[in-house]
Amino acid sequence: MSARRLRHGALLLLAAVYSLFPIYFITVQSLKTPHEDVFGSPLWLADPDFENYTALFEGAEARVRGFVIIPRVPFLAWLANSALVLVGSLALTLGAAVPAAYALGRLRPPGWRACRRVLFASYAVPQTILFIPLYQVIVHLGLDDSHAALVLIYSMMALPFCVWILSAYYRHLPREIEESALVEGATPVRAFLRIVLPMSRNVLVAAALFTLGTVGNDFMLASIFLLDPEKQTVAAGLGVMDVSLEELVAVAGVNLAAIPVVAVCALFARTYVRGLTAAMLEGA
Amino acid sequence: MAPAGALVLGILAYPVAWEIWASLTDFSSRAEGGPVFVGLANYGRLLGDAWFWKALATTLGYLAVTTAAKLVLGVGMALLLARPSRLRALVFLAVFLPWAYPGGITVIAWYWMLNPPLITSYSVFMGNVKHAVDGVLGAGAWAFLSVVLFNVWRGGSFTAVFLLAGLNAIPTELFEYARLESRSAWQRFRAVTLPLLAPYMALAVFLSFTTAFADLGNVWMLTGGRIIFPVVGTYAYWLAVKSGQLAEAATWTLSLVPLLALGLVVLFRWFDPREETGA
Repeated sequence: MSARRLRHGALLLLAAVYSLFPIYFITVQSLKTPHEDVFGSPLWLADPDFENYTALFEGAEARVRGFVIIPRVPFLAWLANSALVLVGSLALTLGAAVPAAYALGRLRPPGWRACRRVLFASYAVPQTILFIPLYQVIVHLGLDDSHAALVLIYSMMALPFCVWILSAYYRHLPREIEESALVEGATPVRAFLRIVLPMSRNVLVAAALFTLGTVGNDFMLASIFLLDPEKQTVAAGLGVMDVSLEELVAVAGVNLAAIPVVAVCALFARTYVRGLTAAMLEGA
Repeated sequence: MAPAGALVLGILAYPVAWEIWASLTDFSSRAEGGPVFVGLANYGRLLGDAWFWKALATTLGYLAVTTAAKLVLGVGMALLLARPSRLRALVFLAVFLPWAYPGGITVIAWYWMLNPPLITSYSVFMGNVKHAVDGVLGAGAWAFLSVVLFNVWRGGSFTAVFLLAGLNAIPTELFEYARLESRSAWQRFRAVTLPLLAPYMALAVFLSFTTAFADLGNVWMLTGGRIIFPVVGTYAYWLAVKSGQLAEAATWTLSLVPLLALGLVVLFRWFDPREETGA
């Protein structure tokens, strides 16, 4: 029995090392001085240095070092833009997903199953060169070079999954819960807001984290739709840096931007699993 | 319902229609004059193109390899985490991190780590690996493989967490019965865990399909089109952006639709069976 537990523990450790090693590796590189980057060991640090991180906060003015012009990046503006896009996407996704899911899962109008499937089928549209016609749509809506464009597109990408898990959850929620509220004299809207919504908190968190993952995973769309350097998100901004010259600064930016995201995820990781489980009970 | 439907379908409708229309014309940003309707000629040419079949084979290989790797890792880690242990909470967080780390930008870091552009302490080592791999599989193979590795690393994490949620949703009694009825752990896994987990696996696989292309797209954009290893997706980008042959690009892209639609049908079969409707 104890040999078994030992093996289990060893495997767990292995999974942890496998998951964390790349993050560790890029963190190590980002803390290196130029000297150590060339002559040091790739796996550990002799002399940690935060230069790459502080370089991100030195404002948007270009600077000359030797014969090289080192462009400065408006990193704080990028962070603010990313946060704005993220919050917007979350609000729009959840705002649209909750009523849709409730309608599909609870009220079940005729054809609700087909509706849900059609919505989900939008994942089967290959995204490859979709950005070309999408750009036309965005220009037509007058959202060119605006954060609203990204909010719309990200929400579109995250919505089907969110509607799917939320509607699965609402479908299996016992009807008596709302009925008792209605008997007590609450209006349907009130019953929904005060009772059903708080009950689905875990699933909402799961949907929100999925949206976060969708937004975080995109680089391409952000770099296409946001042209003004001051308006770019972190992903788009770091991408336009001359990566071969400033590789380590870019990596430092990645890590720095990841910190808040990771904190949020760590906080809600358990709720995420619980929410997904709640949606999956009795087979979505 | 209406807002969500309008949002998704409204935004998608025009681009999809555009893509289908473009694939039926000789639309190109280089040609003089407007696009001319050419019917199915693009598709005919595509099917006769040896390069297309090669790219399709690579694409299928890419999907098969990444999906298999993600599933194996995902199931393995989910099973590990499902068992109670003192380390569990910490390891769970560690497994969750690859997915939580913002992928769109991590892929930048990841790509440059595996293909160091400057002289760094490990670039000789990585250069050797690159030449060894490229020597066997052809130029660009290592760059391609680094994206595959990233996709597996990140997608495996998503799959693991997703399947862990699936395992939690399965009533524990079933596992207890299985413990009594079966002889080996492997038998138990095959006869009970796997079939019960299958629908969730189908959903995870389908979602990983769609992100598999997003990763390639990210790296493609990022490196200024340095990866043109023959894959349907990146070649379509290349056609559209570098040479402006939008019609061909649209045709290439749409050639994947039957594949994805098939995946969708299988998914609905498993995950959203019709029989339940009466309930």
